[in-house]
Parts: sequence; structure tokens; C-alpha cells
Amino acid sequence: MTDSSPALRWIDCNARVGRWSTPQPEQFTETESLLAEWDRAGIEGGLAYHASAWEWSPAEGNRMLLDEVAANERIRPCFVALPPATEELAPALEFARQVKAAGGAVRIFPKKHAWSVGEWCAGPLFDALACANVPLLVDIKEVGWDAIAGILACHPRLSLLVLETFYRIDRSVYPLMERHPNLYLEANTYGAFMGVEGICERFGAERLVFGTALPELETGGPMALVAYADVSDEDKAKIAGGNLLRLLGERE
Amino acid sequence: MESEASMSLMDHAVAGMPVDSLFICDAHTHMGPYFNFLVREEGSPAAMVRMMDRLGIDASIVSPHLAIVGDYRMGNQHVYEAAEQFPGRIIPFVVVNPNYPRAEVEAEVAHWHEHGGIVAFKFHSSLHGTDCLNEGYAPAYEYANEHSLAILSHAWNGEGGAIKVVGKLAERYPNVQFVNAHSASGWPVIEASIALAESCDRVWLDLTGSRLVYRGVERMVARVGAHRILWGTDSPFIDPRPGLGRLLCAELSDDDKRSILGLNAKELYRLT
Repeated sequence: MTDSSPALRWIDCNARVGRWSTPQPEQFTETESLLAEWDRAGIEGGLAYHASAWEWSPAEGNRMLLDEVAANERIRPCFVALPPATEELAPALEFARQVKAAGGAVRIFPKKHAWSVGEWCAGPLFDALACANVPLLVDIKEVGWDAIAGILACHPRLSLLVLETFYRIDRSVYPLMERHPNLYLEANTYGAFMGVEGICERFGAERLVFGTALPELETGGPMALVAYADVSDEDKAKIAGGNLLRLLGERE
Repeated sequence: MESEASMSLMDHAVAGMPVDSLFICDAHTHMGPYFNFLVREEGSPAAMVRMMDRLGIDASIVSPHLAIVGDYRMGNQHVYEAAEQFPGRIIPFVVVNPNYPRAEVEAEVAHWHEHGGIVAFKFHSSLHGTDCLNEGYAPAYEYANEHSLAILSHAWNGEGGAIKVVGKLAERYPNVQFVNAHSASGWPVIEASIALAESCDRVWLDLTGSRLVYRGVERMVARVGAHRILWGTDSPFIDPRPGLGRLLCAELSDDDKRSILGLNAKELYRLT
């Protein structure tokens, strides 16, 4: 470094391991390549979910993820969850406690997996995650802002990290952030002009979490969004990795 | 401490340091507020230049949001005023709206020819609810052809698709260069853009986009060559930092990055 800014500790909240149906030739499907890309960019590690839990079977994919985590300590597990009524996974509270014990988080794909985030369907799952202090991650394309508002209204203790948003969201996100202190945004595709500064000024740097969406998206963009932000070094450190570690219950 | 000279371009991005050693031109930007979402500080020229300074961007070529929606003439006026306020940093595109009478569009082109000069045109046929074969664009095509200028279009849309549209226009206007915006916004778009570039050697590909797929730029460079790719960000429609970081961190040679980040725009738009 040429100035006195300390190097940031980068932890990725949004990576994927495993093979999936439509890889491009440039994309990788092997875990070693994820680790190599993290190395190239200087990313220490991060949360990953398994493609098979997304595209095939959450139960089987979560088991495959555990094998990956056992073999690679840089990967923290992001388990894919379902509502409990069909009993495809462990009972909600047991599942949430297993996730917590593994130092992980939970991701949901309600649209792709064809279930409702309404209380009548997913309420017990969200209750359990809040009770076990497990963060919930969801891609905005899987839910929508009204659904996010509904989840947070019913489960104010639940930490909810919204992934893969875009630049046209502030008119919905600002009022939600005002109401819900446990709402977080991935600082990646959230590309509103000076949006990082806006969130930091209005709601605090604690609300933004660095992620890459590897192997779908590339690493340099989200890193630059944080590194070039007009915020303090302390705030950058929170966004780059500190906030995710805090959400996972680890020391920053 | 590492000296700046020994830092790679990727090091600059990861450390958040401006790349002052290169000429960097953001060849696709806008300006001002927008109806559909919050643009902080109303996307003012001052806010844009402050961001450019933070990133090491030397120049931005600008078409105001107002010009690509309701009032192209007032939008053009705004960007020429900004260019006066920030000479060399803000460079105007002239926007035309083919839904207005030909005489008015001709007068607009003539006005900026006489008052500041025209570097290039920007079309937004999608927001103007038309396609690039609309005869209302003729005054701009004719001027660009006469002066061997480039036209940046949000999309080269029209009957038969982009390859046919550009094919027709390239035949009719042999001196015009065609810049295809948003060429890297996802794999299907990347493939379509590469095919367009392969169909006509006067097509340039602009990297502006909000979803930056893993190694998409690398595929474009491998197939088309870095010499016909332009770096742009859509700022302040979209924050420019992800687009810069994506390119600085790409697995490309520094020479390719230099070309894409600024030298190609310098050549195409004859920037001094």
C-alpha cells in the first residue's frame, strides 16, 4: 500500500460450490478453483452453498456441502433451508441449531423451490433461525421487497441479508432499513451511485456485507465498490468482512 | 509500504487507489436525476467529477438522463454547460430524439456543430420508443457520416435484429463507427455482441452493465480483441466502481486494459 490504509480482511458472503446445469466455459465447477480465485483476489474465505442444494435436493446438497467444509476450512457452510411441514430437513429448531453449531448461515430459494415465505408456510423456519441466531440469506429475485417487509415484521430478531440486489432499490430499501435494524444488503450488485456512502451515512456501515456471487459474477467489481468507497477505513473493514463475521457469531 | 509504480492494476482496485498512471475515459455515462430511482446528489456534474477524481478517471463522455427521456434538447444544453464547467473532464454526446420533426433535429445538430462541436452521438432508441432504422435519426447519421464520427446506441434494434440493422446502416453510412452499449450484460448478450462485432469491423463493444459475469470480458477480448472494446460504466445511472474494479482485476494483459480503459476511446472519439 502507498498510504496508511490497512489492508482489508475480505470475507465473501455469497459463493457457491459444486456442479450445476449451465456452466459457461470460463466458469469453474471445482472447489479448488473457487479457492484459487479467492487467493488471486486476496479473499480469506467465506460462506458457500452447494449447487446441488439449489438445483437438485436441499437435503443431499447440504450433506455434500458438509464434505466440502470438512475438506476446506476456508469455506463456511451456507445451508439451504425449506419450510418444515414436508419434513425434508431436520425439524426447524434442530436444523437451526445444527447450522449454528457449524458456524454457518441459511439461504433460501422460495421461488425456485416453490414455497411461500408467508407465515402459514415458513413462519416456523424463520422463528427457529431467529431463536438460534442464525442469519438468513436470500436473493432478492427469489422474494421481493413486500415479502422481505413481511418476514422482518413478523421476525424482528431475525438477521436477514438480501443478496444480488441492483441499483434501483433505494426507494424500497431505505424505508425497510429505517424500520428493521436487522436488515442487511450484500455490497456487490447494489450499484446505486454513491449507494455505499448513502447506506453508511443513513444507517451505518454495519448494514452492508461484501460478497462476490462466484462463480456467476466476478470479484473485482464488488471489491472495488468497497475499496473505493468514501467512508472510513473502519467502515470498509466492517463491510469487507467484519459484519459477516459478527453475523456468524465470530470475532471480527 | 509498496510503491505505486510496483503495484499492479489489480492492486490499485483492491486497495481503492486511483490509477493515475493511465489515461482512463469512461466512454458511456449519463448525468442528472432519473425518474425510476434515487441518484444521489442528483447525479450532478460536480458529484460525477468528484467520483472521477476518486477513481483516477480523466474524462467521461456524457448524455444526460433528461436527454434520453423527455427533452433531448434541454439535456444537450445541460451537458454542454457541464463541459464548460469541467473542460476536458466532461465531454458531451449529442442526443437526438427521432420522434421530433426532422427540421428540429437538423437544427439541434447544426446548433451544436456551431456551439462547441460534436464529438459523437448517443441514441437511446429503447427509451425513445423506436428503433435505429427510424428515419428521424437521419440528420445524426448523415452528420456522423460526413464527419466520420461514432454513434453509441443503447441497442442497435430494428427489424431483423442488430446484425441486419448495423449491416444496413454500415452500407448506407460508410464512415460511421457503431458502438454497441451494454455488450457484457450476461452471457447471451456477450455472445450476441461478439457476433455483432464479428459481422462488421466498424462495431465497437461497450462494457457498461450492471451484472458483471465471471470472465465475461476475458471472453470478449479473446474473441474480438481488446482494440474494439470500450470501457464505460453508465455512471451515475450505476455506480462506476464495480465496472472499474472488474476491468482492473480482469485476467488480461496491462496493455489490453490500457486500451480498453482509455486508449480506444481516445482514438475513436479523437480526444486530446
